[in-house]
Amino acid sequence: MKKYMWVTIEVANKARFFLKCQEKQIAILEVQQEKNSLQIKIQKEDYSKLKKIWFIKIVKIQALGWDATREKLRQYHIFICALVIGAILLYFCSHLMLSVTVIHSKEEIRSLVLDALESRGIKKNSWRKEFGELEEIKNEILEMYPNDLEWIEIETHGMNYVVRVVERKLEEETEEPTACNIVAIKDGIIKEMVYSQGEKMFSQNDAVKKGDILISGSIKKDEETKNTVCATGEVYAEVWYQVSASVPMTYENFERTNKVRWNIKLKNNGYDDFLFKSRLENYEEEKHPLLTIFGTEVSFVKQYETLKSTVTLTEEEALNKALEAALEKVEMTLDEKEEIIAKKVLKKEVNNSTMNIEVFVSVLEQIGERQEFVVEE
Amino acid sequence: MHLYKTIKNFLLDQDYFIDLWKNYVHVYGFNKIEILQETKIVLTIQDFQLEITGHDFRVLKLTKQEILIQGNLKEMRIL
Repeated sequence: MKKYMWVTIEVANKARFFLKCQEKQIAILEVQQEKNSLQIKIQKEDYSKLKKIWFIKIVKIQALGWDATREKLRQYHIFICALVIGAILLYFCSHLMLSVTVIHSKEEIRSLVLDALESRGIKKNSWRKEFGELEEIKNEILEMYPNDLEWIEIETHGMNYVVRVVERKLEEETEEPTACNIVAIKDGIIKEMVYSQGEKMFSQNDAVKKGDILISGSIKKDEETKNTVCATGEVYAEVWYQVSASVPMTYENFERTNKVRWNIKLKNNGYDDFLFKSRLENYEEEKHPLLTIFGTEVSFVKQYETLKSTVTLTEEEALNKALEAALEKVEMTLDEKEEIIAKKVLKKEVNNSTMNIEVFVSVLEQIGERQEFVVEE
Repeated sequence: MHLYKTIKNFLLDQDYFIDLWKNYVHVYGFNKIEILQETKIVLTIQDFQLEITGHDFRVLKLTKQEILIQGNLKEMRIL
């Protein structure tokens, strides 16, 4: 098989060169002419003849085919070696698991899960398991301990397994009390009363005080107790709160622009360090953990540029915002059926650029609580 | 190799031939380049000489008995 090469030569008299090539029987297969140089494609075996032409200067030689590949490999051998070693290291680092952490408050559950995982190959300094294998292991462990474990999740965080476990709590059978009343836990005006057992002591729109029996467990007839049951039901009443809230009338607002930058964050002993210099002045970041190497947490960070602006509220806006905050405080304590019926601002004042208000809130709330009592014989 | 030579002899049964296009001259089977200039080329082919005149002549390919020339051809004659 013939080997070819491109040779760049500097020659003053090109015609003389071609005549010399003809005389020396050098086959020129392709020619690219430039001002003071020629680029010629010749057979490799003719190169020795070309070198003997004294009036030309060989500037560059470029082998073709396998020779060129071999030449390139020789030229970049350090880079190629580093690349191969890097790829092997990356594969190694991304498939080796250095620790297994079970998250649960009870030591016995942690050791139970750790033993079960270890027997299935999930242990310190082991190869990473595939998703399908992890799913199988999870199911096996749940089937193995049906009375101890409710749910298990195995997450891979970089080079660590994080196992989250929920313990199964078997409900203890509790005996239903035989005698109990539904008692008011707050002052209020009754709006709705729903009960399945017992005798109601108040009607709609009756005012009640804390401690009043709303539904009695003693079933009476002609002032005589005929039967005793455990009263069951719900009593909704209108109750009142006085809530205060404060809102600053001037505050700093951070708004995201469209600029996003990527970075690598290294966290070691609680200190954060970035691999690349951050070019954004103000930003919010979104962190995606990659791996943990020798105690250093490596994360991929997306930084969103933010623009800082100062917002000044008018008195009306501040009042509305403070009112929202006050109502939110009340709503947090309410369940699905409970609701705010009415509200009224009792007092408002602006002090040191802060709007302070006091609000009277009327709420529909469940005020009945079951309370056992002893039956006198 | 014998088969290759037989086929080659069958296909190229001429001792020499000259191909002429508007800007190219291809000569097969020449013996020697007598003159090689940008305006004039003289080649010895068997017992005669071929003179090509024009301007901006450039050699594109050159082997033992074959040459491809690019340029603006004006005249070609046998000396």
